[in-house]
Amino acid sequence: MSGQSGRSAGWGRHVAIGLVLTVLLSPFLWLLQMSFKSNELILQFPPPLIFKPTLENYTSLWRGAFSASFINSLLSASLSTALALLLGTPAAYALSRWAGRGKFALSFAILVTRMAPPIAFTIPFFLFYRWIGLLDTVTGLVLVYTSFNLPLVIWMMQPFFETVPRSLEEAALVDGARTRTVFLEIVLPMVAPGIAATAILCFLYAWNDFFFALILTRTNARTAPVAVVNFMNYEGWEWGKIAAGGSLVMAPVLIFSFAVRRYLVSGLTAGAVKG
Amino acid sequence: MTGGGLIDAERRSFNRWALAPSLIVLFAIAALPALYLLVVSLTPFQLVNPASSTDFSAPLRNYRLLPGDPRFVNSLFVQAKLSLWGVLLQVLFGMLLALLLHTPSRFVEIARTFFLIPMVLPPIVVAVIWKLIYTPDISPIYYAASLLHVTMPSLTSSVDFALTAIIIADTWEWLPFTFLMVLAALQTIPEEYSEAALVDGASRIQIFFYVTLPFITPILVISAMFRLIDSVKAFPLIFLLTGGGPGSVTEVTNYYAYLLAFDFNEIGYSSAVTIVMLMLVVAVSFGVMWMGRHREAMT
Repeated sequence: MSGQSGRSAGWGRHVAIGLVLTVLLSPFLWLLQMSFKSNELILQFPPPLIFKPTLENYTSLWRGAFSASFINSLLSASLSTALALLLGTPAAYALSRWAGRGKFALSFAILVTRMAPPIAFTIPFFLFYRWIGLLDTVTGLVLVYTSFNLPLVIWMMQPFFETVPRSLEEAALVDGARTRTVFLEIVLPMVAPGIAATAILCFLYAWNDFFFALILTRTNARTAPVAVVNFMNYEGWEWGKIAAGGSLVMAPVLIFSFAVRRYLVSGLTAGAVKG
Repeated sequence: MTGGGLIDAERRSFNRWALAPSLIVLFAIAALPALYLLVVSLTPFQLVNPASSTDFSAPLRNYRLLPGDPRFVNSLFVQAKLSLWGVLLQVLFGMLLALLLHTPSRFVEIARTFFLIPMVLPPIVVAVIWKLIYTPDISPIYYAASLLHVTMPSLTSSVDFALTAIIIADTWEWLPFTFLMVLAALQTIPEEYSEAALVDGASRIQIFFYVTLPFITPILVISAMFRLIDSVKAFPLIFLLTGGGPGSVTEVTNYYAYLLAFDFNEIGYSSAVTIVMLMLVVAVSFGVMWMGRHREAMT
């Protein structure tokens, strides 16, 4: 497959890439076009190549309970991102400047938290929330999401802090500045792009969650991914609306992902591999 | 000298204040739940019977039941099939895709971004997408088959094809991950290697097997292990496409644990299943971490 056309990209390779891309993305495009079709059009085969797109699926979806779920998703994802950044950024900075023993153990613990199957956390959280009445609340979701977003922040931010030259900090320290001041006023502004990338990844992980929200919410705090599924189960097979719901859930993800595509690998592998 | 000592002391106190909140919160929302899960796994806890949550009279009962539970044993085999086929296909196709797109060109650079779409989609949206593809009334695949006068079985409710249907969807979703990892590794291969081999008269196939492949083998192994760990979590696809069925053909361990806890209310037993799963994940994670550290030594 790598062969014939050689190192410089010949037209053959370009055609092959175009074909593979079309085939790979066709399931995704199928969902997208379906969301703009009325139910009669969806059931019509052969599918018309040109049709008059309708926003009906989106508007009727938004007028229903879906908008509340969308807002729940936004709230729980942004609040847990903010909490994780607030706690995790100073910790990542301290760790990046600390070569002491226990770093391997700590890194490993953080990796395991990232890797553990969600059900391992869901059962204890479910029992605890049932007991203190946090089931079906946005607060409950924020706490759960922080359990995987905080390790992510600590992992992701360390390499960014390592790029800040130590001589800068030392100069300020010798001049009598406190470490806190150095951190807040010199180091933090320099890693702003890293913070932005990390924040977006945290947001995406929380936004994409389905399992925790499925178990820990019922109606009040239901998030958008769960709402789409409920839609399938309880309101019959309204394919147009289902497709529109799916498209709405993926819209913020697609926009944000393009912004952070460079960091996707290090986020996914939680730092064990430098992407 | 004293100035340096003061700075060190001040730095240490800053470090304490910077680390403490995170460590406390992580302990509260990650370590404590894990411990609690372990404790619950030692009880026959059922939600309908609150008193059973503190019944430690036979702590290892759940674990003793596991080997004799045909559904649990079956779920391990289903998980193994799903993970092995999924990982194999993802690594193979991800590598081929990376080789195809490893070429300096403006067009290809833009195209790379679009190849990442399946991976960044919310997993539940991926499940919805494949639900549309696998539902006969509205699926272009079934329409195409009918044009060719082929009657396709309903993939997700067929004993023979349900697991394959899940593997296809899972491979589609995670192919970009291995693609991205391999592409990053390919870009670090010094050009002189393959140029020298070309001068020596090696064919492209030989260059691939003797230059490229040895170079990217560590990254192939690492991506495979990451996918292996994550394949244990495959939930939305199974939940939406097959519900573990037909029968228990697609019921992986994770899904069985979910059903036990939240359908059958067997919280204690489900916790034991989860603990076993967690230990497998920890073992593989440790392997990944170890290899990540020793990657330089391996290449």
